[in-house]
Amino acid sequence: MAVLAKRERRLLWVAAVPMAVLALSCVYPVFFALNNALKTNKGYILDRFGLVTAPTLDNFVTAWQRARLGEYFVNSVITTAGAVLLLLAVSSLAGFALAMLRFPFRRFLFLVILASLMIPVQVVLVPFYRTIIALDLVNTRIGLIISYTAFFLPFSVYMMTAFYSRLPRELVEAARMDGASILQIWWNVMLPMGKPALITLGILNTLYCWNDVLISLLVLQKERTVMVGIAALRGEYTTNVPLLTAGIVLAAAPIVIIYVFFQRQIVNGIAVGAVKG
Amino acid sequence: MQAKLSALLLAGTILAAAPAKAQEITVWDWKSGDPAAASYYEKVKGDFEAAHPGVTVNYVMQPLDQYYTLLGTALSSHAGPDLFLMNGGAQAKARIPALLRLDDKVADLRKTVIGWPEFTGADGGVYAVPLSIQGFVVYYDKKLYRDAGLDPDKPPRTWADLARVCAAIKAKGAVPCFSMGNKEGYGAEFWFSTMAANEWTAGEQQDFAAGRLKWSSPQVKAILQSWVDAGKAGWFQDGPNSTTKFMDEYEGFMRGEDANTIGLISDVAHWKQFDDFLGADDGVFRMPSPTLAADKTEGDPMMPVAGGIGYGVNKASVHADLAVELAKALAAPAAMQVFFTDTGAIASNTGVDTSKVDSPAAKAILAWLKTKGVPTAHANATAKELEEWHRQSQLLLNGEATVDAAAARLDAVQADARK
Repeated sequence: MAVLAKRERRLLWVAAVPMAVLALSCVYPVFFALNNALKTNKGYILDRFGLVTAPTLDNFVTAWQRARLGEYFVNSVITTAGAVLLLLAVSSLAGFALAMLRFPFRRFLFLVILASLMIPVQVVLVPFYRTIIALDLVNTRIGLIISYTAFFLPFSVYMMTAFYSRLPRELVEAARMDGASILQIWWNVMLPMGKPALITLGILNTLYCWNDVLISLLVLQKERTVMVGIAALRGEYTTNVPLLTAGIVLAAAPIVIIYVFFQRQIVNGIAVGAVKG
Repeated sequence: MQAKLSALLLAGTILAAAPAKAQEITVWDWKSGDPAAASYYEKVKGDFEAAHPGVTVNYVMQPLDQYYTLLGTALSSHAGPDLFLMNGGAQAKARIPALLRLDDKVADLRKTVIGWPEFTGADGGVYAVPLSIQGFVVYYDKKLYRDAGLDPDKPPRTWADLARVCAAIKAKGAVPCFSMGNKEGYGAEFWFSTMAANEWTAGEQQDFAAGRLKWSSPQVKAILQSWVDAGKAGWFQDGPNSTTKFMDEYEGFMRGEDANTIGLISDVAHWKQFDDFLGADDGVFRMPSPTLAADKTEGDPMMPVAGGIGYGVNKASVHADLAVELAKALAAPAAMQVFFTDTGAIASNTGVDTSKVDSPAAKAILAWLKTKGVPTAHANATAKELEEWHRQSQLLLNGEATVDAAAARLDAVQADARK
């Protein structure tokens, strides 16, 4: 037993080395961004990989002012939060209906939703743009929230349907026997049970919406989102890397802070239901 | 009666005193947020709004990598900005159906502004106001020339000179002769135009622009061959097909890792940027070619020059007249002066005073512009031909294609594109 434990410890030490290398490879880009954000452009070009010798915060100031990050943060937060909440509500309802209820054309509807996953955003840009112009949604946050919901809904519905399909239908039948309406079943039974999938979807959709440039570019042409502000920091052919990395650090900071503070809840949420019994 | 007259007068006075109806001109570009160009854009906005009460100029800077996708989407929807920036040549010509023809509206500018051909349609009409001039010259590092035992004040003037320079630099073994970035095919694009500048007659340039000069013709194949020969002779650094031109190639040159680079005269990879790193060691010369056209002189190479970027007016704009006025204001001498001074880009307006420039490289380029400019061949190719040249140039450099095979493929693309 002691020999086995010793061998296990040795194996763990051996495994720790590549794991440490892997961890370093994940941390290095963050270090690279922070280190270069503190350099001047000339300092970066002359020594891209060296440690910063004369740190300056000018890039952060310039990025904040030029990319108007302060103003754009508000738009990003409102549109991301609005779209994610709407996506979770609609996809959970649709997933519940498609997985648990029996109604005409159910399979066909599911196939249509699945098929829309195959269509790249670029293909529908012109009709999409014409539609938002016709609906007078250009330069409105609600327009962007609706657009995000429309574009990211198929995947969310697919995931929720797949998740709910694995739950026993007896849960729905039992709730019906207890006299619950369909909406009550969704609210009291399915929504709490769908927490792991909803948290995963919430994280994924938050990343999609927060990082989007193309859809946001079309809808919000005056008051923009953070990622559009960052993307505009790139020049025609040249990129001021220290300025860009400073902008990226500023833009990524809220997401990182949220993750650091809610790490336990997020991980617990993902793990809920992972083990049966 | 008097009361009615007084009321009418009062109403008239109030109407006259009321501000004009507010109008907003929306301009799309990828430059207005650039700190180097900020003063220029602010000046134009300030002057224009002062001269047009009630009008607001709204610059919307778009990310360049999404710019043409976004613009295409907006124009296809008969929407989008009133005025927008474009690159001259294929990009501008592809958007002519959505642009307002400007001939009669910019007649007063035609004598003082240059670079119109890159914004001229097949119908001969002008569709945008040029802002800058683009061209290719070779920048060289005088220190590296000295290190290789070369005279830094005598840059190559003939192909034989250039071969000797590259041989000396190669023999020294410290750095490659040329910095070359051909990851996207831009290295070959620049090479093509610099070679054509001296290997083709004026007539052949016109024939190529019209699609009459084939890629398999001896004049064009000679350029393809020179590209292969330079690669085989070891003039380029390792892995040019994996190096981006913007900005890995130029950053290497600025760090002193390569002796020469084919650079620009617009606001990037140009004299101002290189001066900042190399100082007095930033030299410049015009690229010679291995063979010479009948109308060119040995030892006195020409350089490719074309209209750089320009502003076009959206045909669907409800403020088209104001947008035309703004396009003209953007190309006006006083504004262009700020553009040139701040960014170092050669302005399309010949009224800009360049006499105060103290950079030797800039002085040389400005002098050559007056007499040494010839068409930029690749700007007159179709987008499909350029795309195929990008691909074939990589195969040629890797030794995966022969010159004959590449030329044949390019002939087919040229024929298809010119249908």
